[in-house]
Amino acid sequence: MEYIEHIVDFGILVVLLALGLLAGGYAERKHLRSLARREAANGDFFISQLKSFPGAVPGMTAPSIIVGEVVIASDYLKTFLSGLRKIFGGELRSYNSLLGRARREALQRLVERARAEGYNALCNVRLESVDIAGNTKARRMPMAAIVASATAYHRGTVAV
Amino acid sequence: MIVTNTETVVGYQITQVKGLVQGNTVRAKHAGRDIAASFKNLVGGELKGYTELLTESRRQAVERMLAQAQQLGANGVVNVRFTTSAVTSGAAELYAYGTAVVLQQATPETY
Repeated sequence: MEYIEHIVDFGILVVLLALGLLAGGYAERKHLRSLARREAANGDFFISQLKSFPGAVPGMTAPSIIVGEVVIASDYLKTFLSGLRKIFGGELRSYNSLLGRARREALQRLVERARAEGYNALCNVRLESVDIAGNTKARRMPMAAIVASATAYHRGTVAV
Repeated sequence: MIVTNTETVVGYQITQVKGLVQGNTVRAKHAGRDIAASFKNLVGGELKGYTELLTESRRQAVERMLAQAQQLGANGVVNVRFTTSAVTSGAAELYAYGTAVVLQQATPETY
């Protein structure tokens, strides 16, 4: 009867991998579409990583700090594949794209929040990663957590 | 209160530097959200519970920092930085720190 247990175990693995492939793939494609759309819509928003305020115009409301956070989970397939990759070593591409998506999302949130407060430019953009999953080995939940901060200000339409 | 993560504030002059102000917090979500997150880790997507956790932690840390600045008689905090540390799984420490200053609106000539 022991082999039935093995079949059940294997079946659960296959179901989880399929879930990762379908649901995870769907979530990722949906997110990438949303990012592409918002990045195109916010293309005119000026973002710099400078500490000065390039092109600032006088007489407007004071600059203000803007912060954006995002946490994105890996899916079972990505986690499984990266586990395989770790045996052979090399680039973990699936996690690459996960972190890339999290950073792009955090940046878009900054832009959207700054826009909502009436600003049209961001300077001194900082992106920092956060460890929520923790350094304990017991819990293995791969996720990308990013805190982005920047200073929003008013910029003249003439390029400086 | 004018808060920025730049060293200067365009349109304003720093007339007084009051010193370092800081605020920190370690927060966690209830166990239910942690369990929901572990399921979400099978299918992928945003972990809204943890995004919320970061937002709440950041707000609280900033609030505490601003309270300190207010006590010092500052009307702004410049060069604000956030750092985080991993204390335990499912929790986030957020630490916000900056320099409390007194800002004065600059005249157009010195702009």
